[in-house]
Amino acid sequence: MTIVDPRPRIVAAPDGAGVVAGVRCTDHERCPGRAAFDWPACPSCGGTVEPAEFGPGGTVWSSTVVRIQVPGRTPPYALAYVDLDDGPRVLAHTTEQQPVGSRVRLLGPSTRHLMGHPCDGDDGDVRAEPSP
Amino acid sequence: MSNPPIAAVEGVGTSRFGRQPGTGLVRLAFQAVDEAFRDAGGPRAVDAVWVGSVFAPAGTAQRVLRAIGISGVPVLSVESACASGTSAFAEGCEAIRTGRYRRVLVLGLEQMSTAFDGAIVPEPSDPEGCSGLALPALYAMAATRWLAEDRVTAGQLAAVSVKNHAHAVHNPRAQYSGRHTVEEVLGSRMVADPLTLLQCCPVSDGAAAAVLGPPAPGRVGVRAVAARSGRPWDHTSDRVWGHDLVRDTGADVWAATGVDPREVDLAEVHDAFTIGELVTAEALGLSAPGAAGADAAAGRTALGGSLPVNPSGGLLSRGHPLGATGLAQVAEIVWQLRGGAGGRQVPGARLGLVETMGGGVSVLDGNACVVALLERR
Repeated sequence: MTIVDPRPRIVAAPDGAGVVAGVRCTDHERCPGRAAFDWPACPSCGGTVEPAEFGPGGTVWSSTVVRIQVPGRTPPYALAYVDLDDGPRVLAHTTEQQPVGSRVRLLGPSTRHLMGHPCDGDDGDVRAEPSP
Repeated sequence: MSNPPIAAVEGVGTSRFGRQPGTGLVRLAFQAVDEAFRDAGGPRAVDAVWVGSVFAPAGTAQRVLRAIGISGVPVLSVESACASGTSAFAEGCEAIRTGRYRRVLVLGLEQMSTAFDGAIVPEPSDPEGCSGLALPALYAMAATRWLAEDRVTAGQLAAVSVKNHAHAVHNPRAQYSGRHTVEEVLGSRMVADPLTLLQCCPVSDGAAAAVLGPPAPGRVGVRAVAARSGRPWDHTSDRVWGHDLVRDTGADVWAATGVDPREVDLAEVHDAFTIGELVTAEALGLSAPGAAGADAAAGRTALGGSLPVNPSGGLLSRGHPLGATGLAQVAEIVWQLRGGAGGRQVPGARLGLVETMGGGVSVLDGNACVVALLERR
């Protein structure tokens, strides 16, 4: 059985970078709504949405290192909430913990599991690295 | 002249809290319900039951209740993450307020030790859960952010754990207690930076219950109870996850009662992680903006301070059986308002606040929050 992977879909951008394929509210004037997901309606107002790409640049809003056992993962691993430029906040994996306020860019897509449990391993994760 | 209570808490009861995989949900629930009925007095009969749980299998509510002699009445199951127990409480209070039912049982229960080998497994159908965001990491990022903003210090975070473990020394139902130092808390094993083990709630089994009825002289009254789910987390603000949901839910209670947060005598709030208590204290107005860490370190929120927070030991020490937690908080406030909390009694307590917060759905500022204000007149 194929399980739908709920994570944001990453599209390749130049120089190994990646952008998030999401949506934004069509009511640009009144609603700031945007999502890192292919959702059918605006999460902020419920209105109509249009496809939009966000990133690759962003700023670390916060970060941590997970040091406990999580199924399908090998601790320790670093996570960051990244505020994409003109985009939503996304959860990204980084190789080391990134300081609050630092600049990062999203990396291009990693291979996604098409069969079985989508969270078996880190393929398909959103990944970021310090901005070159 | 304040508005009258919307409902009375006729009786409360809880199991012990801790890892008790061999006890089973029926026995845990019976300990809570039996105590609540004894406490309430009168017949062991209710018009309806709301049951809060998160990880219990389908049918658990009826399966448990039929084994303790409660059947034939409406039984509703509620799941809203860590706020499941208080969500059941909110529904029960509203059923009394509107006159739909005269007497209601609300029950929260959870058996974590048999559901997981260790910490809660992040939900794979959620984008961030699928990405490996264990719940401690969500709170850890709030802590990282506040540390970076110099809004809190590592020592102040640890002070919350020191305080709540010391409170639990006086709570025989608590899973853990102890007189730790800030250094011991900071030196315990790292779970998700900067949160160490003693800053994280344990894996717990337990149940808690309340019998609700119409307001009556001599009963602890529910002045107001508010429940909300989160909105999309405002990514244009610096406010950490959950802050706005707690603030808005609390505001509903302050607006309904006209009570100022500074009038509250004590509070039981959602301290699944140390940072959670501090964010909640500020969001509810129990601490001034930016002052919650200093309030904890200075003892203002300790027993003997001006506004004790989590005199039971909180989730950090009493334990956090998810669905049971909200009603364990309610039970603690009821005991405190009656003057029956023993060595952890807040002298003269008249107004007590309960707040529970649930997470695990990404994008939203929280799955659910419930805030209730209880009063002894």
